[in-house]
Amino acid sequence: MTAPETKLVVAVWLGSAPPVRSIRWLDGALKAAAKFTGATAVAAGEQTWLDLAADRAVRLGLGCVGVPTELVLDYLGWAQVMAGVARRLAATTILVDEASRPERFAEVAALAELTDAAQLTHVVALAPDAAMIHASRAAGTTLQTVRIHGPAVIGVRIPGPPIDEYPTPTPSATMRRLELAALGLDPAVLGHRALPPRASPPASRSVDRVADHLAVHGAPRKGG
Amino acid sequence: MQALTAGRAVASSWGATLYAAVIARDPDKRPGVPAAPPRIGPRVPGDPKVIEAIRMALARGGADKIVVALTDTAIIPLWSALGTAWQGVLDRLRPRLVMFGADAPSAAELGPRTGARIGARLFLRARGVGGEEVELRDRDGSYVRMSDSGAAVVLVGAAPRAAVHSDDDIDVMVLELPGGVDPRIELASTAPAELAHTTGTIIAIGDAAAADPDVVKATQRLAKVLGAHVVGSEQAASCGVVGAGAVLERGAPLAPELCVAIGLPSIDLAGSTSLVRIGTAGGKGVDGALTGPIAASLGELARLLEDR
Repeated sequence: MTAPETKLVVAVWLGSAPPVRSIRWLDGALKAAAKFTGATAVAAGEQTWLDLAADRAVRLGLGCVGVPTELVLDYLGWAQVMAGVARRLAATTILVDEASRPERFAEVAALAELTDAAQLTHVVALAPDAAMIHASRAAGTTLQTVRIHGPAVIGVRIPGPPIDEYPTPTPSATMRRLELAALGLDPAVLGHRALPPRASPPASRSVDRVADHLAVHGAPRKGG
Repeated sequence: MQALTAGRAVASSWGATLYAAVIARDPDKRPGVPAAPPRIGPRVPGDPKVIEAIRMALARGGADKIVVALTDTAIIPLWSALGTAWQGVLDRLRPRLVMFGADAPSAAELGPRTGARIGARLFLRARGVGGEEVELRDRDGSYVRMSDSGAAVVLVGAAPRAAVHSDDDIDVMVLELPGGVDPRIELASTAPAELAHTTGTIIAIGDAAAADPDVVKATQRLAKVLGAHVVGSEQAASCGVVGAGAVLERGAPLAPELCVAIGLPSIDLAGSTSLVRIGTAGGKGVDGALTGPIAASLGELARLLEDR
């Protein structure tokens, strides 16, 4: 059985908040999207983040959609927002910038579920080939080469060029604003997926606390 | 096994039943292969000794029951390959809490998709905490407790060391599920990943730190306990701490799950999911930083992790 091949309409989901450490991976996701004609960058959240996302997208010749909201949602909430935009854009393929914020990789699966698309996480390279996409996926110590046919949500970890400083973005005149209501989303209902406000956890500064952190994020212990 | 250990602690505390779910390929179910002779009830395909070893490991790990989902699809850690079989397990069990080992090969693809499918809250890199009433808590402080309503999916980052369970006689439920590879994702080939693409744990060492033999020794010890690759510049490699194939150019970008930066490595670590600095004060987006003498900090970290 072969999936039907359709024309690719690509959107790249930049998420709901700016990168934690560097915009290099944001630029990389946009650069990957720019390989597809007519790709659109999408961001949601507060205005300063939308301005940054629009600025980086425009520099690479991409159109940009911004969804202004003060909501802070979980992975399913943000996926609902992006799925609404994808429907408006008739996007068949959604790239997701996985590397800029650690919590975003879960939105790949949520988006795929909501849009009934195939999913592929941890993609480190991709290339369009007519209605198909060739992708390389990092899976632990192996690299999988994958062909993607049809609608898909693809989590990308592709770096852009190194960048130390970038100009402060100004409000973009070209960014298309879409309110939640225009996406068919009721903020009150969406609010059920809101996360409780939490301060960012402080960096661990003692050997015991760093060891605790490493134990959770590192490899399984011997025999574990 | 981390998920199983944490699951045992939770199930015992909550009075729940802990199922260990396994997806196995049944070659008899391949399209085009003549049907196998009729057998009485489903059985788990494969080498009986291997199957028994897996059953024993899961039983001793604390599972109350084992569910084996048989599929005709090759076992590849992708939702497109395993999703249908996994859905069969979820439909059968209707679990309230689903746990994956965060470092399991399929966790990144199956974990969040499971959460999305059952509308669950999702916890990344959580650990079990508490005594009588165990809860699972992630680093942000979000938690799953027995009294919570709704389903949760947890990618378990660490579990306390647990005693081996002595009850080896546990039920094995075999589900024969229809195949269902998603044809939209076609795996063409696999090859060893370059270190630049690794998603595991990386230790990046700076040139000055690599010149200190005590730091080198402590770095190697920490790398061993974390199962990490040590990367650095050619100069660091000349000190013997960076192996062949692990030399990275200045400014090379990495996006591992965890990076421990020792001294001032000349590698771009901003893509790391979690970043810990040793020997420098840290900075934006750093999850941990130890500013004392590097070799002593590394040695103490390794010792604490070895003792877990």
